[in-house]
Amino acid sequence: MSLVAQQTIAIDQDLPSIDKPISQRQIDCYSGVRPRSIHTDPEWARKKGFAAPLAQGMMSSAYVSQMMVALLGEGFVKGGKMNVKFIKPVLAGDTLTMHGRVREKQPEGERTRVVVEFWCENQDGIKTMVGEASGLASS
Amino acid sequence: MIEFRRISYDAVQVGEQFTSNDLVVKPEDLDTFAYAVDDHHPWYFEDSPFGGPIVHPTLLANQALMMRHNKFVVDAGLHAAMQFEFIEPIRVGMRVRTRGKVVDKYEKRGRHYMVTEFVTTEEDTGQILLRGQFTQMFFPD
Repeated sequence: MSLVAQQTIAIDQDLPSIDKPISQRQIDCYSGVRPRSIHTDPEWARKKGFAAPLAQGMMSSAYVSQMMVALLGEGFVKGGKMNVKFIKPVLAGDTLTMHGRVREKQPEGERTRVVVEFWCENQDGIKTMVGEASGLASS
Repeated sequence: MIEFRRISYDAVQVGEQFTSNDLVVKPEDLDTFAYAVDDHHPWYFEDSPFGGPIVHPTLLANQALMMRHNKFVVDAGLHAAMQFEFIEPIRVGMRVRTRGKVVDKYEKRGRHYMVTEFVTTEEDTGQILLRGQFTQMFFPD
């Protein structure tokens, strides 16, 4: 496995942010359309107290994966870890921005584990997801 | 034959086990996922350093979440937390299955939660592809 050299990654380095406008059609594709679903049935979502259907939290975890693959490549696909907390609902029509910052580099055998703090904000600047992801780099 | 029950804090027991359906990862699954999350990295469509294309590391996350639907009627739940460990790359053509177990349920600030551990394997080889844990909040009636 060819890993990114840890020397090319700096602690406190900000990762390029990723914008994600989320359409109902994308939510439908992710979750599969069915009645009585807060993701794909607008009437059911309203009944449960939401102004619009919710994007599945897991969609946001895919954005974390995208950011980590861009940073670490193979070392995230094989050896990556992710720990996510979904803190606010994401609605159809929202635009999320994914942010990440390198927090630490830890020796792991002959390799280095690069730990990234990440968070997602919606178009109003409200955090919808926070967490930590990591993957392997060469020492 | 399975007798489906509506999922609730009382209905779910710690130690309860879940199994997903088999899924053959298909090219259309990859296309649909890429569109849904707007991630069209070339490793998923052309070639990757692992030899041939792979799929998005979180593509099978919904197989883990949907395990509960094989035992319960799940009208709604809010996903509170998720942990992943990516062990091996996933590829189109693999036949995969996820198995899980409820490891905790608890009440916090008047809300009820369940915690489920899961492992996803390639069925033909037994190779573990990913594992993790998810926490769901039960929706109040």
